[in-house]
Amino acid sequence: MEEMSEENIEEVRVLEAQIERLQAEVSALQCQQQENHKDITFNLRGQMQNAMSYVCGQRQGGGKEKVLSKLKEEVEELEEDLKRQTQMNGISLNSCTKKTLQSGGSKLVQKFLLSGHCSELVFQVEFQLSEVKEGQGSERTISDLNVVMDAGDLQNFSGFLSGVEENRDLLLFFRTLRTFTDRCDDRCRTYQHFQEKYPSVVSLPGGCRSEVMNLNHPELPGCVLMVHWSVEVSREGRVTPKVDLLTKIPERALQLFPSQPVGGAAEAFQSLLRILGPEAAVESIIRAVGL
Amino acid sequence: MGAFFPLFSPGVLSHLSRLEVEARSRKSRPQQRSRVKELKAKVEALRLQRDRLKAEIETHKSLQKLRVSMDKQSAHEEEEEEEDEEEMDEDSENSQLLRLMARHTQLKDLLHAHHIIGGYNVIKTRQGKGVCVSLATAYDGVFLDTYNLEIDVKPTLRISRHNVPPFIPLNSLVEQSNMQTDIRSFLDTLSQHLNAFAGRKQQLKLVKELHKAVEVMESNVLCSILVMMFTVPGEKTAVLCTLDYTDHTRCLPTRVHFESEDKELPDSPEWKKNCSLLMETPVHKALIIMKKMGNIV
Repeated sequence: MEEMSEENIEEVRVLEAQIERLQAEVSALQCQQQENHKDITFNLRGQMQNAMSYVCGQRQGGGKEKVLSKLKEEVEELEEDLKRQTQMNGISLNSCTKKTLQSGGSKLVQKFLLSGHCSELVFQVEFQLSEVKEGQGSERTISDLNVVMDAGDLQNFSGFLSGVEENRDLLLFFRTLRTFTDRCDDRCRTYQHFQEKYPSVVSLPGGCRSEVMNLNHPELPGCVLMVHWSVEVSREGRVTPKVDLLTKIPERALQLFPSQPVGGAAEAFQSLLRILGPEAAVESIIRAVGL
Repeated sequence: MGAFFPLFSPGVLSHLSRLEVEARSRKSRPQQRSRVKELKAKVEALRLQRDRLKAEIETHKSLQKLRVSMDKQSAHEEEEEEEDEEEMDEDSENSQLLRLMARHTQLKDLLHAHHIIGGYNVIKTRQGKGVCVSLATAYDGVFLDTYNLEIDVKPTLRISRHNVPPFIPLNSLVEQSNMQTDIRSFLDTLSQHLNAFAGRKQQLKLVKELHKAVEVMESNVLCSILVMMFTVPGEKTAVLCTLDYTDHTRCLPTRVHFESEDKELPDSPEWKKNCSLLMETPVHKALIIMKKMGNIV
């Protein structure tokens, strides 16, 4: 058996103290790191892993240029992918912030805040997503769904929105939003088309995105026919365009020409709609006014 | 997806604990030389781990800062397209790399978000000759089955493979829509059918789970018909209730019908109310109300 020298004992003691201190430091740092991860999550795989290693001083193999170009390639692929999803889904997301509320064990709860737009409509959506691992897959649940949208054009949307929030129906919200804006875009295109084709008759007092298009004969400034084209959304998310014809004719004119068929115009327009569909029905009215 | 990898490699930790075990086992026969050596190695390993952690935390901080300014910027992208990256000190040698990393996390989050909000997750296959899309379904906040379509793009759009159940009229939906020119509206309609089906199926499951006293007499795979037997408390009268879901894009019935040995019952004001309740409320929730009102057991 060797004798233990004084120095060695001393050295061991110093080293052990050092180890203890370092271990404490490391675990404190690990805690801090975990805390930080709640605010931003990394998928540290592939090129991100390499880049992280490089930035943190582990510069093995290849050098900066290589790490940079490889990561760039991956980022470009992701950009491409995002462009593809955006185009396919018709929904542009500008930002997505995630915050981890609970993690560990088999449960992960994250809070999402998304902002973006669908055509001209701007939205902000907030919700919690819980993922609970169960055997092979996981059960994902949405809760606390909250939708904020520009109030302007949305009288016909509010019933639907409260239903969506109540039923936490994220999928229905985005599907309906898309159909709704598609129908609004159809209307806008139609209105613009008519304004270009019949500039002397058609005017769009609220712009091409508004519901109203005015028709009046250049020589009869007091008489206006208004096409009111709204896009209705039911509580269940059913989207239906509703087109009406309203007339604004001075009392005096009606008194002078009681036999004019103007009074029945609204009903007559509805039968035209049924037969011709909105575009052709509106066009035939424009023609009638313009003559 | 989304695996959340810790930043430190597990290799270091297991190596450390191995060292510790070895160190303990050697305590009994003190070989001072190697003991000191081991401890020094351990100190070295711990220092490395600490420095790495510190560097990672620093990197993390700068990435987060970058991400916040990027998010702000993209939120205002429409109004002003100017590039202002004053936040980042240009002289920092890794700034370019850090910016790419921050953009990487941003893109990953945006793609994840697209996935959650029911995006079709289009993936190109066979060098752009085809695409795969997936359709998510959910009911009452719970994500249910996801269905996939593989679509040939050239020469014309054609569904080559899919796992949509056979009772969903996929072919007639294809025919009715302008899939060739507007694939999205076709997918929206299909998604509507699939989600309504998933919703009806989930309601049926919940009826069976939550209402043991209600007997489900009949239902079909499309869950477009549901026949249940209720019992009226007290007289124990049996009521046969039929729900018809003729509109397959909805998860509420289009017709509610009661039949009972008590011929008067279906026309009573109470049961008239139940009828409209069932027309407007998902069946498992309607049954809770009907039970509370004392109309059924």
